Amino acid sequence: MMETFAALGGGFAVALQPTNLFLALIGCIIGTAIGVLPGIGPLNAIALLLPFCLALKLPPESALILLAAVYYGSGYGGRITAILLNMPGEPSAVLTTLDGHPLAKQGRGGAALAISGIGSFVGATISVVLMTFLSVPLARVAVAFSPADYVALIAFALSLLGAVGGGSAPKAWAAGCLGILLAMIGIDSGTGVERFTAGSMELLGGLDFTVLAIGLFAIGEILLLIETRIRAEAAKLGQGQRLTLAEIIFCVPAMFRATGIGFVIGVLPGAGASVASALSYTAEKRLNESNGKFGQGDMRGVAAPETADNAAQIGNLVPMLSLGIPGSGTTAVLLGALLMYNITPGPLLFEQRPDVAWGLIASMYIGNCMLLLLNLPLVGIFARLLTVPAWVLYPGVLALSFAGVYAASNSAFDLLLAIGFGVMGWAFRKLGVPLVPIILGFVLGRMLEDNLRRAMSLSDGDVMALLGSPVSIVLWVMTLGALLWPLLARRRGVEARAPGV
Amino acid sequence: MTAGRLLGALLLALAGFAIWSAQSLEVAFAADPLGPRAFPTTVALLMALCGALLLIPRGPDFEWPERLAAPPLLVLVMAGYALLLVPLGFLLATILLASSVALLFGARPLAALATGLITSASLWALFDRVLDLPLPKGLLGA
Repeated sequence: MMETFAALGGGFAVALQPTNLFLALIGCIIGTAIGVLPGIGPLNAIALLLPFCLALKLPPESALILLAAVYYGSGYGGRITAILLNMPGEPSAVLTTLDGHPLAKQGRGGAALAISGIGSFVGATISVVLMTFLSVPLARVAVAFSPADYVALIAFALSLLGAVGGGSAPKAWAAGCLGILLAMIGIDSGTGVERFTAGSMELLGGLDFTVLAIGLFAIGEILLLIETRIRAEAAKLGQGQRLTLAEIIFCVPAMFRATGIGFVIGVLPGAGASVASALSYTAEKRLNESNGKFGQGDMRGVAAPETADNAAQIGNLVPMLSLGIPGSGTTAVLLGALLMYNITPGPLLFEQRPDVAWGLIASMYIGNCMLLLLNLPLVGIFARLLTVPAWVLYPGVLALSFAGVYAASNSAFDLLLAIGFGVMGWAFRKLGVPLVPIILGFVLGRMLEDNLRRAMSLSDGDVMALLGSPVSIVLWVMTLGALLWPLLARRRGVEARAPGV
Repeated sequence: MTAGRLLGALLLALAGFAIWSAQSLEVAFAADPLGPRAFPTTVALLMALCGALLLIPRGPDFEWPERLAAPPLLVLVMAGYALLLVPLGFLLATILLASSVALLFGARPLAALATGLITSASLWALFDRVLDLPLPKGLLGA
């Protein structure tokens, strides 16, 4: 206990440095803004910012503080369009539209925004406290993991993609496989053989992570946006009664339940904020069947999914930091960012780079307070972002994408590569293939192969060694369950909704 | 053709290429029992299996875009940018890119040009002046 406080104190020493405070604030503002803007999610934004962090030679802890602030800040922004326009800014805000928009129509949009902002803060802050105390114990467990255990853990994380991604499981698995294969491009570290390079010099060093992420997400999204006519609508805040203290207190139990659900779902690899917000909304609706008016503007129907959404986002960071296994697309990008700094998240991170691990955790306490302060009074300004016409916004996003790719690599080849992945991202979206598994597969693929080869070397090629420990057996059984689950769930019509990103 | 079938065929082709390409890898001596071939081959086989599952006809037809010409035009514009960025320099190339993209998003010509100029100038100011990142100077460079 005392150790944890001492370590957290060290983290605050990092997070309170003026540069890092400033970066956290910038990250929070960008995060909220991209949460508002449809078509640009936290994943795109982080992929866009990463090359600049590298090119500016920001130290890793500062880069992570900035990128993570964009990530958890986006959880505050998605609700704004969901409530005002019935259009979720992020996939995880879909459930917020159900009660948020009716409230806005009743003239209580301002109150709905306030309660969801408070919910986001409660969910995120309690989750950061949980993370503070759980990360190191979890990391200690993982220190004892053998390569074979890691193989099983990564296989489990990947198998969950089909169970929770929404839509078709084979598509999600195929996308995961494709991501793994893309990670194989370049010189094989074990033997020095060139793989899948098609003789290209530029590909010898492997695919650049930012090129893949910017191509699939930023460019692919713009290709998708340009093919439909965008209809602009004006935002309105509503002049009705402001949020009362009684209403906040009324929502507190719902917020606590939603935090619990959100954090647990978030820690599980594969399940994301979308699942958490859907589950907590359904739970509240069932619990309060007698006294609720869910669907017609119940405050708890706004508070619960937003709280769970933010709690899950923070929960998602726990396995990324402690185990080195990201649970979602965006945390995979954050992991990729750390890898580009030659920092491997995982059990040893807390001992080897406490400045990075604890600096990040401490900055999240500060960042969430900033976000609450930013979001309560300034919500109107963020909502006005929606009045920016598409033809101003997206040319800028595209130019920024290219500038980022170029700044990181100084090569026009990478620009063409990013465009190619953009076309792929567009086609996959049209074909209903989720893109997040590609990113997860790409990040986990090399890790999976390295651990597999290490395990095989240790056992002299005996495949049974993969089942050599109780941990690995449990994980493989869970993997099998995760692979069979979508087949069983389809029969009962269970479908988690997670469109787009 | 349903979207699922199209995808299944695409995945099978990709997996086939990956497997064929992996088999041609030759290692002089085995550094580890697994080698560079086994893992990608297995993953590609799994992908082929998923692709085969998707060949079962089911689901909606492929949805062609509402504005059929816009995505290919945008790809052309972007490819042009990638090729012209270094010879023309960041400022000129980005004006061309942002203006054409604005046009594709339905802006009027003058508004598109203004978007291009402002986008390019402000990004250049941000990167070159504030952040001090190297961008290609091209024609305007001394």
